[in-house]
Amino acid sequence: MRFRAKIVDVACLNHFTRVINTIAKLAKTCTLRLTVDKLYFILTDKVANGGVSMWCELSQGNFFDEFQMEGVAAEHNEIYLELTPENLSRALKTAQNAKTVKIKLTNKHCPCLTVAVELPSLSSSSRIVTHDIPVGVIPRRLWNDFREPSVPDFDVSIYLPVLKTMKSVVERMKNLSNCIVLEANLNGEMNLKIETDLVSVTTHFKGLGNPPWVSEDGSQNSTQDRDPESMAEARIDIRKLLQLLAGQQVNPTKALCNIVSKRIVHFILLHEEVSLQYFIPALA
Amino acid sequence: SDEFWFDPNEKGLALRSVNSSRSAYACVFFSSMFFQHYCWTAEPELCQKKRQSPLTCKLIMKSVLPVFRCLNTLERNVEKCNIYTNVNDCHITFKLFCKHGIIKTHNLAFHESEPLQAVFSRHMCPNVLKIQSRLLTDVMIHFPTCQEEVTVAVTPMKVCFKSYTEEEIDFSKAMHTKIHLNPDEFDYFQIGVDSEVTFCLKELRGLLAFAEATSATVSVHFDVSGKPIAFSIEDMMVEASFVLATLADIENRESSQQSLCLSQRQKRQKITDLISSKKKSQEYCVCTTTHFIKYCIFQFHSLFFGAVSFKEQDVISHTLHSLATASDAEDDFDNEQLSHVV
Repeated sequence: MRFRAKIVDVACLNHFTRVINTIAKLAKTCTLRLTVDKLYFILTDKVANGGVSMWCELSQGNFFDEFQMEGVAAEHNEIYLELTPENLSRALKTAQNAKTVKIKLTNKHCPCLTVAVELPSLSSSSRIVTHDIPVGVIPRRLWNDFREPSVPDFDVSIYLPVLKTMKSVVERMKNLSNCIVLEANLNGEMNLKIETDLVSVTTHFKGLGNPPWVSEDGSQNSTQDRDPESMAEARIDIRKLLQLLAGQQVNPTKALCNIVSKRIVHFILLHEEVSLQYFIPALA
Repeated sequence: SDEFWFDPNEKGLALRSVNSSRSAYACVFFSSMFFQHYCWTAEPELCQKKRQSPLTCKLIMKSVLPVFRCLNTLERNVEKCNIYTNVNDCHITFKLFCKHGIIKTHNLAFHESEPLQAVFSRHMCPNVLKIQSRLLTDVMIHFPTCQEEVTVAVTPMKVCFKSYTEEEIDFSKAMHTKIHLNPDEFDYFQIGVDSEVTFCLKELRGLLAFAEATSATVSVHFDVSGKPIAFSIEDMMVEASFVLATLADIENRESSQQSLCLSQRQKRQKITDLISSKKKSQEYCVCTTTHFIKYCIFQFHSLFFGAVSFKEQDVISHTLHSLATASDAEDDFDNEQLSHVV
């Protein structure tokens, strides 16, 4: 099992750091899956996470100048690691003006992801900063736990409003209640509602647009039969929603959510080189 | 420790402090030239009492810090600061003359106390490094702010700063960071003995902030593990030094803090229980200023004291110290320091 990768471009490094920062805000520990072409940051819907799950996919070619990976075995050319993204975030934080950043899998006192940053210095040789981040190697028999989640059979799919606006609305609501109701219809309307004994607050968004989904057999999605005015709603933990919104450092190219009434909300945020899916279950 | 020693003498004003576990000591000495007006006098009649030591005032840190707390406000509003002591009623008065005719007067009670001085001779240290403060900060920035202890490993060929984790903490959880530096990045590099010393980084951050504000060169004097390490800055008007205890390395790599000797006057008292840094609860407060502004007040932890030694001629008892004034007027300081003001 081997892994070595190198970033030389400042913009790529910056972008990669921002992705890691976003992941670090969403999960305390997560699984990093390495394949020949892609990196995945995965969080499975365990009770410990409050049922939240995450799937983030990056194409390595968009970030790394060099990328060599040898998986556990020839037929299973992948590596699954358990990692604390906050450590990776910290290691990259002070590396932004680096000449090169190398990431490799090493075995010091335990398996580690070693980040070696080559920084410019006044002297003849560069300054090297190394960070050894302990990781756990996930054995092949557990890999099934980390499969890509399928898009749920949703009732409504809608584009999200500008995330910054949504975030500031939700931030203020957080002070009033722990749960928020997210509802939307096929007419491009979305409401964010909180209700307590003393007060209820609703923010209405209009004209958001609904993404066209084509189901696998090529026919139009069954939601077409749905009354466009009818709202699908889910009551979710406001902190989880805020975690997702607050963690975004860059505006995504496309941001949408799929609501399964009273069950789950599935968020999809697409950037040019990164796709992030985040599932928040509805509260009872 | 929450205490702060305020020691005016003929040559200038020394501010000192030490932490509760006596493993870190700091001293900042402002020469009389730092101040616009500095006056230290003694009342002749008290000489007859044959007081053995000059007056040293011990203040409570918590009462001093608020006086100089908000740096931005200080920079903008305060035009002059007068400091004077009245031994008779045991008060030190800080009078801040602010804009718009506002005068803020702070009267702080002090205890008389024996002076505090660490026993440590820098010139006995085989290893001496001098490094630009900017560079030192750039190195320390790679350690997470929660990193308590750092080890510096030196040989005549290279220098490495690395994070230190105590044995009890699970190695497989903590991130380890290492920074390699080339000897030619230092202004002065003399390594007499290969060594690896571990000290508390948190204690140092106060000095680093001060150093950066003054763009000074930081001198590092140290020996082998277990012996203290001193970080100091010297310039024409201010000298600051921090002396930190280091972990003693026992063969099988178990670390235990070496007991440090405390002595006041001529008595030597052993400190047997040095609290490990993990258990120290450190409330870290730095209020830094450049020469242009006012005072640097640090809170230190961890130190050791040595015997206080002071020459007989300093032993003039006195009652009233008069004004020691610091002002932020341009005429005090050379132009290059003005450029530090944002």
